[in-house]
Amino acid sequence: MMQRSEVGVNNSAVKRGWWLILLIIAFLIAPFVISKFYLTILCEALVMSLFAISFNLLFGYMGQLSFGQAAFYGLGGYVVAMLVTKLQFNFWLSLAAGTGMAGLVGLIVGYFCVRLRGIYFSILTLAFGQLIFVIIFKWHKFTGGDDGIQGVFPPEYLRSIEAYYYLIFFVCAISAFILWRIVNSPFGQTLKAMRENPERTEFLGIHIARYQLIAFVIAAAFAGLAGAVWVPFYRSVAPSYLTWIKSGEPVMAAILGGPSTFFGPVLGMFIMTFVHSYILGFTHFWPVIMGTIILIIIFVLPGGILEFAKVKITERREKANIAKGQT
Amino acid sequence: MLLQTQSITKEFGKLRAVNHVSLDINKGDIHAIIGPNGAGKTTYFNLITGYHPATSGKVLFKGKEITHQPAYTRCTLGITRSFQITSIYPKFTVYESVLMALLSHRKVTLKFFSSANKFFKEKVWNILEDVELANQADTLGDSISHGDKKRLELAITLGTEPELLLLDEPTCGMSSDETESTMALIQKLSAERGITILFTEHDMSVVFGIAKRISVLHQGTLIADGSPQAVRASEEVQKVYLGGTA
Repeated sequence: MMQRSEVGVNNSAVKRGWWLILLIIAFLIAPFVISKFYLTILCEALVMSLFAISFNLLFGYMGQLSFGQAAFYGLGGYVVAMLVTKLQFNFWLSLAAGTGMAGLVGLIVGYFCVRLRGIYFSILTLAFGQLIFVIIFKWHKFTGGDDGIQGVFPPEYLRSIEAYYYLIFFVCAISAFILWRIVNSPFGQTLKAMRENPERTEFLGIHIARYQLIAFVIAAAFAGLAGAVWVPFYRSVAPSYLTWIKSGEPVMAAILGGPSTFFGPVLGMFIMTFVHSYILGFTHFWPVIMGTIILIIIFVLPGGILEFAKVKITERREKANIAKGQT
Repeated sequence: MLLQTQSITKEFGKLRAVNHVSLDINKGDIHAIIGPNGAGKTTYFNLITGYHPATSGKVLFKGKEITHQPAYTRCTLGITRSFQITSIYPKFTVYESVLMALLSHRKVTLKFFSSANKFFKEKVWNILEDVELANQADTLGDSISHGDKKRLELAITLGTEPELLLLDEPTCGMSSDETESTMALIQKLSAERGITILFTEHDMSVVFGIAKRISVLHQGTLIADGSPQAVRASEEVQKVYLGGTA
């Protein structure tokens, strides 16, 4: 029989934390090892990973597919760009404001969306996302319209790629840690319960819409933070940050890496970002190749790469245990 | 008196599924609701638990009106139910499923940064032992047998530490051995935890074996209510339901 101390909510990743330490060390020494070009790509992969994890709080954990997550990512970026260029606002406070604004708009949008489930939730998030995009795209005087906003500079001490890389790394690592704590908390367990069986969960005394709204706001705020921290690195922001095409990126990343795992979307985003920059060296038909990769994953590794790996590792461990029991 | 329905009625279009049912459920009772298929038993449960809004009439729990309270509020007040079609968490382990109920009932679901794992260990094991699922604690909900799923749902409802537990056909689809042990378990829970139990059941030997009180619904109307002996003796009940075999 199972030892009682071993039974519980599945968080085996913590118990084998050594790989995480190795990974953190690798990220810390990366600027000394890889070229500036790849460091830039790494920055993008990290920011997009945070975007993908925030999205996956809704998709993988809560079981609702948001197709408007880029609106919050873009909003975070726009708030920073406008505060820094128009008001010469403090950089750090701008980051906080971008996050806060995304969370606030998430509260308003979420209020309507969490009343719906399944495809209706997805369509409404898509509609709201496009609505916010159109406002920013059309309101030329205030947002710069399709020109976007250029010249968004971080403070002097963060202007080198290396320095800004460390900022991005710490922001993403701390955010990921917070989100990881959230998904393993009683609140996270409640999100999973709503995904698994909303009716049963409601009849355990959970006000579904309320919990979904909280998750929606958290996801929006972290997407906003991702956008906010990215824009000063790229020095500009454009309406394309808010389109439904951008909203599709975390969806693909999650499916690629495995939405049922915490780090699946991160893996997916890393693959997408690096494969993208690599393939662009040969061809402009990048979407064809990405589409092929997604197709292969869906048919060969349903559940995503990390989920597949997890299943294989568990199988192997079980086999080893049985073998041990026989000797 | 723990629960009272006053002339509660539910209409679905022209169909009156529950017709002015007034019933008192006494604290500590094991109370059965019986009736042929389509008698309105499940609808009656749905009105008590807030699954459906009532067309008219009132539901009172501990003297307080709850007719218009949503389902989740009624649950926090102490009313929990199981479903006729077993409703569990297929991808949660047995342990996690019961833990979820406790997290909700003890109001820690808004804790964002502490690990869900560290909560209520003793209590979860205690419930799992009571329903004899402790040896399957680490198994996924959809990997256990049908009878065990039924008992898992019972365990989940126990996690909400209910005062009133509504069980909609708790032994449906079980073998006779499983039925017997489940009914013994329900009796034990009622006795040890002081839970009031309201249940529906098709198997008359089960009903007459454990119910202290039986109410009979027929076409949405309450036609008899009383001790098993009284209900068995009722001519009307014999006519519409027991078919004279009692």
